[in-house]
Amino acid sequence: MPKHEFTVDMTCEGCSNAVTRVLNKLGGVQFEIDLPNKKVCIDSEHSVDTLLETLKKTGKTITYLGAK
Amino acid sequence: PSQPLTQETVINIDGMTCNSCVQSIEGVISKKTGVKCIRVSLTNSTGIIEYDPLLTSPETLREAIEDMGFDATLKDSDKE
Repeated sequence: MPKHEFTVDMTCEGCSNAVTRVLNKLGGVQFEIDLPNKKVCIDSEHSVDTLLETLKKTGKTITYLGAK
Repeated sequence: PSQPLTQETVINIDGMTCNSCVQSIEGVISKKTGVKCIRVSLTNSTGIIEYDPLLTSPETLREAIEDMGFDATLKDSDKE
């Protein structure tokens, strides 16, 4: 599965939990959240746009870093 | 001219742990249609929202917060 890396402006557990929840709701994703480095690495067949839209729901600033 | 309608709803929000969570919620929800004012309290785990009942409803607002990845429940439990 394609791996995508994003920077998400998370500052605390609450932020990363919010990210976890929206991604779980989307479904079809496997992901790792690296809170100290503000990075989210997602394994998914979804398009980058879909993933971006989903992450943006949290209201955080999101940047797509590229495929890994 | 008729007065614009404003109602207030209190929503319990669980899962906020810091000010940046508060700011994210305030930022996103304040942009929703019909929302006039939102005050989120971290210590009380609540959001007080002033809204136009013709444009939105407490349930819509609750779903919007839920959509952001937080646990949101309506405080006025008269519908339960």
